[in-house]
Amino acid sequence: MIDKITILIPHVLMAIAVWRLLLRDDLDHDGLAEPPTRSFRRGRPGDGDSGGA
Amino acid sequence: MLDLFFLAFVGLFIFAGLKRPFLLVLAYTYIDIVAPQKVAYGFLTSIPISLVTFALAFGTWAVLDDKRGTRVSFRQLLLVALLGYCGLTTLGADFPDEAFEKWSWVWKALLFAIFLPLTLRTRLRIEALTLFMVLSIAVIVIGGGIKTLAGGGGYQTLKLLVNDNNGLYEGSIISCVAFAVIPLIVWLVRHGTIFPKSKLVVLFALGLSFACMLMPIGTQARTGLVCGAVLAVLSLRTVKHRMLYLGALGALSLAALPLLPTSFTERMSTIENHKSDQSASTRVAVWKWTIEYAKANPLGGGFEVYRQNKLVYETIDEEKAGDNNIALETSTIVEEGRAFHSSYFEMLGEQGFPGLALWLMLHGLGVWQMELLRRRYRSREEPELKWIAPLANALQQAQIVYLVGSLFVGIAFQPFCYMLVGLQCGVWTYARRLQARPIAAPPSMAKTRTLTA
Repeated sequence: MIDKITILIPHVLMAIAVWRLLLRDDLDHDGLAEPPTRSFRRGRPGDGDSGGA
Repeated sequence: MLDLFFLAFVGLFIFAGLKRPFLLVLAYTYIDIVAPQKVAYGFLTSIPISLVTFALAFGTWAVLDDKRGTRVSFRQLLLVALLGYCGLTTLGADFPDEAFEKWSWVWKALLFAIFLPLTLRTRLRIEALTLFMVLSIAVIVIGGGIKTLAGGGGYQTLKLLVNDNNGLYEGSIISCVAFAVIPLIVWLVRHGTIFPKSKLVVLFALGLSFACMLMPIGTQARTGLVCGAVLAVLSLRTVKHRMLYLGALGALSLAALPLLPTSFTERMSTIENHKSDQSASTRVAVWKWTIEYAKANPLGGGFEVYRQNKLVYETIDEEKAGDNNIALETSTIVEEGRAFHSSYFEMLGEQGFPGLALWLMLHGLGVWQMELLRRRYRSREEPELKWIAPLANALQQAQIVYLVGSLFVGIAFQPFCYMLVGLQCGVWTYARRLQARPIAAPPSMAKTRTLTA
């Protein structure tokens, strides 16, 4: 019985964590430690190194 | 019933991972630590969930994950070197069959540790991995803690989820890992965003930390007591009110002493006098054998090389013999095939001096790099940076606890500890990517500046 309760609690917490992670936009990109995106067409007006995802 | 529960949980986890592939990395972390196929011992044992999850995690990362700016740390290269070297020693091992059996799980632990930092691209991923490592350990530790409180403890008798006495389900190992995890629990409470700080979160963290501290009592593992003492000393560095902390620690220890089982205090007292305790004497004899073996075989003998050892040593028991007299009884013990009981000697015997050097460099660099991060970011108060120094500190503490525990337990290739290494590498490369970006200077500086790596 103890084993079943103690298995359940952390698993419920992990399930909640998975759900919250699914809803978070910053899981895959947080815009902080990423290199700036580069346009392969250099020299065009308005193109250039621009930060962000 | 348990099979169905675990199957459903893993299935939902994998299903969620198909939407957000990083969740598959967390799923593999969970499966590797908890080993639900061992806990359930039913039809789940016939399903290769570990292999399937790793293949999915790696495959989706390779195809779908953003790899811009991915960096490989020097420690990952050390892991690659260690992986290759262990493969070579396995090919020429003194005990080929046994060596291949150990190699069959070691290479997976090393490979995952090499791969893991490549996926830790965001702060949230780093936090999520830390959280899942802690909650996976909680699956084992919470039950162990409750059983200890209920009086179900004892040396090699405390029944954790799996009656295996292997890996994380072995008493000394779980005692060491349980203490290593406590700094991570504290960091998650203070800086977690998945479960932000609240009364419930603090309550759970306190309960989990308490359960971790009960593990050496329940398992009567002396290693656990030593790890606990080391963590208590390390915490002095970062705790705000040192005298209050020391006072509370002393008071709690004194209050707890009368409540401890007699068998526990008797076993702990053998730390001082190893000569009268056979298991401690065996350790010393094995270590002496390993040094001699390494001198003759400097490149190592492959996994499980300890099987060829034959140890002869003496134990000394003291008995009272009348007034003011003590009789010393010497017994000669002969044992064969005794395990290393130390990660350092495990590396020396199995992988020789090159393997030991790689392993020491891997962990030594970890302690140093976390110290660098701690110093570099400790005064940063920006929300996107202020979590780094405390996490580096927590990871450093966890690693030092592991390294001290490793003195007495053969956990050189324990997968959880390589996840810790992978997490450290991930934090290190994340911080380096941060440094390479233009960021706003601290409020005390007037100009924006770019930090070079």
